[in-house]
Amino acid sequence: MDDSKTLNLNVRKDFPILSKKILEKKDLIYFDTAASAQKPNTVIDETNDFYKNHYSNVSRGVHTLSVESTFRYEDARKKVQKFLNARSENEIIFTKSATEGINLVAQTFYEKFMQKGDEVILSLIEHHSNLIPWFFLRDKYGVVLKFANIQPSGEIDIDHFNSLFTNKTKIVSLTHLSNVFGTELNEKAISICKDKNVPILLDGCQSAAHLKIDVQKLGCDFFVFSGHKTYGPAGIGVLYGTENLLSEMPPYQGGGGMIGDVSLEGASYAELPAKYEAGTPPLVEAHGLGIAIDYMNKIGLDNIIEHENEITKYAFNKLNEIDFIEIHGGDNKRNSIISFNIKNVHSHEVSSFLDVEGIAIRAGHHCCQPLMKHLGVNSTARLSFGVYNSLEEVDKFVIALHKCKEFFNK
Amino acid sequence: MNDLINDLYQEIILDHGREPRNFGECEPHNKSADGHNPLCGDNLKLTFLLNDQNIIEDIKFTGEGCAISLASASLMTEKLKGKKIEVAEEIFKDFTNLVSGSDEDLKVLNEEDSLYALKGVGGFPMRVKCATMAWHAFNQALKD
Repeated sequence: MDDSKTLNLNVRKDFPILSKKILEKKDLIYFDTAASAQKPNTVIDETNDFYKNHYSNVSRGVHTLSVESTFRYEDARKKVQKFLNARSENEIIFTKSATEGINLVAQTFYEKFMQKGDEVILSLIEHHSNLIPWFFLRDKYGVVLKFANIQPSGEIDIDHFNSLFTNKTKIVSLTHLSNVFGTELNEKAISICKDKNVPILLDGCQSAAHLKIDVQKLGCDFFVFSGHKTYGPAGIGVLYGTENLLSEMPPYQGGGGMIGDVSLEGASYAELPAKYEAGTPPLVEAHGLGIAIDYMNKIGLDNIIEHENEITKYAFNKLNEIDFIEIHGGDNKRNSIISFNIKNVHSHEVSSFLDVEGIAIRAGHHCCQPLMKHLGVNSTARLSFGVYNSLEEVDKFVIALHKCKEFFNK
Repeated sequence: MNDLINDLYQEIILDHGREPRNFGECEPHNKSADGHNPLCGDNLKLTFLLNDQNIIEDIKFTGEGCAISLASASLMTEKLKGKKIEVAEEIFKDFTNLVSGSDEDLKVLNEEDSLYALKGVGGFPMRVKCATMAWHAFNQALKD
């Protein structure tokens, strides 16, 4: 390894799972953060503490524990608001997942603003979670879906995207950072939507912990991300929406907590954000997400991004030198994610082989089957990085890849 | 090399993974089913000809997948060709037990069988579906 490249955030000690030995002897190298990030001690300890010392339901009672729980839940909302630079806490809706956020928007946006024959623009690189909720609209209500092509670089073909708009286009939904290529959405896609006055939802699952997010600067109308990919717990997601749109759209689910007043004849609904939070929310998980955001802020998002960019570039260059490796996407900048295949070796074999070396990577279609079909592959292997990874780990990974190739082509 | 990997990828598995036997479509056939692993996208199409004595006269598959799923399908077709349905069903039960990590109480399979090579899959729980995809397709075809 080059001596000049010794960047290390020195945070490995913050993640207890990273001291686990795989198969009792191998140090864990975790290259699967894009599937789910590991959790720092602060998140684990604080969620424990919530259950041990502060737990009750939120926004319901007037007793001490209810106050303590509600304070933590709403404090988490403030942290998310700052994290995304949203204008108001009313624009932050807690969901159980990013997937639920997209379903919420698809259903309620349709109900308020769309009818049969109206159009939605998506793209070929979308995760299934940003396809199926819209398929539901197509199947149930006759909404028309259009898909922007991608270029060999892995970026959306902006000219093709632009050509898909008609006066029936009602909403656009695109990934902010591809979970297969690691490529960031071209800002032009957002400005085209602004010019045409069509709302755009950004799927921020992969970007939230790996890019600096400013929803106002981005100019998106909706933004979703999940807690578990941002070093927080699973079971909590965030939907950001502009107050205008969220106010106009109808509630998603009905239940406790989202009402104004109820009689047997009907109900009025709560103001934002409670309007979209029916039922007891994942309150401890929301708190955990808030703690995860504190954790990232403490390291500094700029430092995290610089660290991950360096590792990603280093890994890309290393992989690019190897003749039996095929990297998917072009030579353009990637953020924390690289998809590849070993020629003539299925990604499952690569993943199982690396597993016994203590290296966790993802293999499969990454919930992007239409994209896999487009790439002409059945599956890919994917490396993805987080705050805890290092260049040394990449070196070990490369050595293991050579062993893997040798084993399967012997 | 790690024992788990050597157990998983025995020579016969790598061989059948690289060069699957009975690869193609049975013509004529009277039974068929598609196998699919939604977790990874691997898929296959199984076709076979069942004669009036309930014997599998011929059996073939096509598809794409990892070495484990291809080798398992390939070894399955070799094993089932010429077998009576009742015997094939016993083998199916034994095989699913074998790759789930339990080789006790096997009725028809034993260590001499080539299918035994897939026992190592038990060390990789996430790969069991790879090994059973073809077999579930076979089971499905019998039901249809």
